[in-house]
Amino acid sequence: MIDSALIEKINKILAEEFEVDVAIIKPEAPLMETLDLDSLDLVDMVVLIEHNFGFTVKAKDFVGIKSFEDFYQFINSRMNGA
Amino acid sequence: MEPNDSNKNWNGKSRGGTLGYLSFVFLIKKFGVGAAYSLLAFVVIYYIPFAPKATSSIWMYSRKILENGRFKSLKFVYMNFFSLGQSIIDRVAVSSGKSNEYIFDFSEPDDVRKILNSPEGVVIIGAHFGNWEIGSPFFDKYSKEMMVVMMDYEYQNIKKILETQKKVDTFRVIPITDNSFSYLFEIRDALSKGKYIAIQGDRLSKSEKHLDMEFMGYKAAFPLGPFVLATRLNAPVVFYFAVRTGYKRYKFEFALARDYSCEAHKMKEVALMKDYVATLERVVQEYPEQWYNYYNFWNT
Repeated sequence: MIDSALIEKINKILAEEFEVDVAIIKPEAPLMETLDLDSLDLVDMVVLIEHNFGFTVKAKDFVGIKSFEDFYQFINSRMNGA
Repeated sequence: MEPNDSNKNWNGKSRGGTLGYLSFVFLIKKFGVGAAYSLLAFVVIYYIPFAPKATSSIWMYSRKILENGRFKSLKFVYMNFFSLGQSIIDRVAVSSGKSNEYIFDFSEPDDVRKILNSPEGVVIIGAHFGNWEIGSPFFDKYSKEMMVVMMDYEYQNIKKILETQKKVDTFRVIPITDNSFSYLFEIRDALSKGKYIAIQGDRLSKSEKHLDMEFMGYKAAFPLGPFVLATRLNAPVVFYFAVRTGYKRYKFEFALARDYSCEAHKMKEVALMKDYVATLERVVQEYPEQWYNYYNFWNT
């Protein structure tokens, strides 16, 4: 179970960084399409994760992240040392 | 802003066969650079009609951007192709151990030398102008590895030629492919290890995000990628150009980009691009015949 405060924090950061309405961020929504991300935005995503959550991201970490739910799981598991 | 006209961006392919290239390598090694230049003078005549897209783009560059007349433009097209050939020949000669036959002048301000000597990773932004590769061995003096970021197509061409010569190049390549983001992580990791990342800031490939900038009097599209990478990854940036100034003579020009931390978040890359374009314009105005972007670069 992911802490709702963490989900709220992630949504707020993503909405601010990628300039979208926080209301459109739903757990089942596709991450890349909803935030309109391309490869350059991925640089921002990496910097954002490392800056806000304090761990280093690798290319393979993004494999399998399709929805916001996947993204929450990824952040949560890495923050818990997985 | 997505470019959709294939003439308005580079398709990722470069002209020139391996056999032709190897013929020049043979001439350079056996008879010297002068002999290769002599053959080049004839090869260029073939290229003018048989490389119509390149010919047309350089013709337009000469007529519209440089405002040359028809006769001068005809001569300019020939000289541009000849100059490109010379730069390739010189590169091969230098990499084949003939660098002592050349004179290299350095315009390297103290601030640039300090940054290149520091343990930090540095992004070096160049252009498809002059002969930047001829200078890559000189970065060895800083004892740091250089990683060159380029399109996978370009990389495959170079790899094929190097394999036929059983040679390795003086730099390592990070290829950009359409279906993988791994190059972003390779760049970040290389910078964090204090390596140099060399990337060209002028050439736009298909579907690449870009910004229109005033360049040589007209609007032209520049790729955002190199500038976003440099500013987001917080690396110091050096603009670098190598120009041919005479027979077997080159000048290396460096300029340190300023600190963009005071700029608003997404304006940093715009400010960096503006400074790059201004620096590039200054060197292109001085050596216009060494401009090697063979597509409709300007929105004319």
